[in-house]
Amino acid sequence: MRPLGFYRFILCMLPVVHFLLHVGLGMGRVAPDLLAVGLLLLAREVRTGTAAGIGFFLGLTEDAFSLLAFGANALACTLLGVVGSRSRELFVGESLLFLVSYLLLGTWLRAALHWVVAGDDVRRDAVRTLVIEGPIDAGYAALVGVLLLVVTGAWRREPST
Amino acid sequence: MPPFEPDQFEPRGRRELVLSLLFIALSGVLIVLPSSAQEQVAGVFRGTVLAPFILLQESLTQARIRAVDTAELQERLDAATAALSAQRTLLNENQRLRELLDLRERAGPGFRSASVIRAGTRGSESMILLDVGRDDGVQVYDPVVSPEGLVGVVREVSSSTSVAMDWTHPDFRVSAMTLDGEAYGFVEARHGAFREEDRLLLDGIPYYTTLEEGTAVVTSGRGGVYPRGILVGAIQSLAEAEAGWRRGYWLVPAVRPAAVTHVLVMTAEASPSGEPRPGEEGMEAFWGIWADPPEDTLTPLLETDIPGALETIEEPDGVPEVDPDAHLDPDGPGQPDSSPDEDTGSGGGGIGP
Repeated sequence: MRPLGFYRFILCMLPVVHFLLHVGLGMGRVAPDLLAVGLLLLAREVRTGTAAGIGFFLGLTEDAFSLLAFGANALACTLLGVVGSRSRELFVGESLLFLVSYLLLGTWLRAALHWVVAGDDVRRDAVRTLVIEGPIDAGYAALVGVLLLVVTGAWRREPST
Repeated sequence: MPPFEPDQFEPRGRRELVLSLLFIALSGVLIVLPSSAQEQVAGVFRGTVLAPFILLQESLTQARIRAVDTAELQERLDAATAALSAQRTLLNENQRLRELLDLRERAGPGFRSASVIRAGTRGSESMILLDVGRDDGVQVYDPVVSPEGLVGVVREVSSSTSVAMDWTHPDFRVSAMTLDGEAYGFVEARHGAFREEDRLLLDGIPYYTTLEEGTAVVTSGRGGVYPRGILVGAIQSLAEAEAGWRRGYWLVPAVRPAAVTHVLVMTAEASPSGEPRPGEEGMEAFWGIWADPPEDTLTPLLETDIPGALETIEEPDGVPEVDPDAHLDPDGPGQPDSSPDEDTGSGGGGIGP
């Protein structure tokens, strides 16, 4: 049985992998949004304020490349961290179905928040962004995130030590 | 997933709430910061946390560029050498004529080649990182071009890197004209349904000026940012018209920013005579396009009596004859258009197939 530390280590590595794929390898949208996946899972491990801080830092890091809507990622990720952390009070989250649903909804929420916060210059068609691309990107990120957790053995149903 | 632990965070509820609100407020402040402050914050993150990732992509881009077929590179080198040797005689001739007319030497732009690094993160659209910076002579508002035409402009410069926006950026504007200088207007970006459908709009064309499809549009040199003659695109179709007032035309962009991996930054290099910028220096020949020379500018010069001037001009050997008609040359710079009859421009520019 793997210790809890390994699970958290994997969660911390997800944003690193995200920047490695997006920035280091320049894969762009081909790579999944592992930043949101990592943040959503990390948020359930820490206090609300800490989750907001993690979201703020990760969002600001992503904003370092944003000429068009600086701060939009920071705000979206901060809010996502808060929501993710507070979701602990509503859902226990022991099942694979919950994990997939949580990641899917959370990743879509991040895209939606960014769309709302970003200015008119950046904002594109709502239907295409939120109804077509958003769910596809969210599903892709959730699938890859869950696969990563399962393959590395970081996720399991049994209580850890 | 670890087990649920419901109680451990509860006693600090108020503190956590305040902390959350603080971070949310900070995020809001970031959005309303002046762009210069935003760029400073972004620069700090790019130079620290993200530096390893940027370096990695820079290395990969360099490796990709080096992997270009050597035969293709040799072909380009041969073409460049041929063009250069043909123009050397013209340069000498030009210099002698300038000396005779007591004209100052024109300032030419300096070019710094740069690799393009793309972040690929949410919100980073329209932004490119370049691996040249202040140490290479790059300054804010230096134009970024590729062999195909105008890519964008430098927005932020650090010592060894710079940030540029490409023409898909909502703030992008450039004063442009048709190649023959008949019509002037402003070019701006318009978003399509998908990013691949982003295109350019040439606006402010006088209502009674009709531009034919395929007419080449170049920078006009007005505004002091872009030198005259950088290829922007070609007329595609009429976009909008206000009766009796103005017309707007869709352009086929000369450059698709997503496909660009290597660019040239046009730096302001002073000429020996001390001119600061290449603002008046036409760049048409760089993109293999020519316009009909305005007759009124040539006639006085031809009528001027310059004793001994014609005797000192030697007939250049091996210089290709340039078609005086205006064309975009699909074969690249230095190659005269072989089909002048296909020119569809309104007495001026046209674009190749």
